[in-house]
Amino acid sequence: MRSNRLGWWLLSPTLLVLFLFGAVPFFYVLWLAFHQWNPFATNPDIIYNGAENFRRLVFDTAFLNSLGVTVAFVVFAVLTELVIGYMLARAFMRDFPGKAIFRTIHTLPLIMAPIIVGSIWKLMTTPSIGIIPHLLDEWFGYDLNIGQSALAAFTITVIMDVWHWTPLVTLTLIAALVSLPADPFEQAQIDGANKRQIFWHITLPMIAPAVVATVFIRLMDALRTVDEVLMLTGGGPGSATRYLGVHIFKEVFPKTNYGYGSAISVIVLYLTIVVCWLLYVGMLAPRNKK
Amino acid sequence: MTEIDNEPIDILEEEAQPPAPPPVGFLPIETNWFDRLFISLVIWVAICLVWLRFIEPLGADLYIAHAISVAAGLYIIWKG
Repeated sequence: MRSNRLGWWLLSPTLLVLFLFGAVPFFYVLWLAFHQWNPFATNPDIIYNGAENFRRLVFDTAFLNSLGVTVAFVVFAVLTELVIGYMLARAFMRDFPGKAIFRTIHTLPLIMAPIIVGSIWKLMTTPSIGIIPHLLDEWFGYDLNIGQSALAAFTITVIMDVWHWTPLVTLTLIAALVSLPADPFEQAQIDGANKRQIFWHITLPMIAPAVVATVFIRLMDALRTVDEVLMLTGGGPGSATRYLGVHIFKEVFPKTNYGYGSAISVIVLYLTIVVCWLLYVGMLAPRNKK
Repeated sequence: MTEIDNEPIDILEEEAQPPAPPPVGFLPIETNWFDRLFISLVIWVAICLVWLRFIEPLGADLYIAHAISVAAGLYIIWKG
């Protein structure tokens, strides 16, 4: 009993920090989501308005459009990162000349701040001065202009995200692949299994927890992408790249509509939790059932 | 000395009993009460959002959605 009390005392600073910086802001935003508050309007008071923000949200075409493009962005970006990340992880498992330097270069995008990544890609894709439109025009006669083409803008944001975050997937999958035991693979080869069968029936089930953890991290990151996209496209053209993060930013800061912005934030958090939970249940939980 | 005192004590009596199997609910995964509370809250929000979008415009009050959600939540926590 005595040692238990000591444990709580030792934990209390951590719990206090978690409460102050985790729980308090969350509950404040949740509370604000049920209020109308525009501190710069003629009436700056915080007024309780029940579910009015959520009632507005479910009919808000701008929000629903943001949700649609965000889902498309997340699916394309995360799947591409997983596939390329796995292939790179397999490549880096082999020995080849210059492997260490390739791994270092490959990891460089990870250490860049998102706003810098956005600036670099902005410079590279600006039609008059960018290297990418120049090369596409020279090689294929394709006129890339992300300020005019919605599809091009969407594609470039996905490519930028893939470029930025694939190294993270590679690193986690290398860690998972390195820790695999050799015996099941040798036995499968003796039994005559081909590479595809080994991948689907041995490798993938054994690295599934690492894959799910990686997808969680990338999913949460992709759902809250703001700065890169805001820098590169500003959410345009039109609303082609107005992802949920960008939508919340534009709703809260230029319009100073804090109550409604909080409601959108709460729903985005809710969707993130639901997607991650469904993913966890779909991929890992049934295996734990006794 | 009484008759009861002469009876041998079965020290393996407690170990011999097989552990009670965990109750199996209708959910496809193994859960504890907190998991089921979490699932109930997630479903509550989903029901309310769907209600606000599709059913409330027809005239049904949001309190009905809350009542349905609470009933569903209690059922999930007890039977899930």
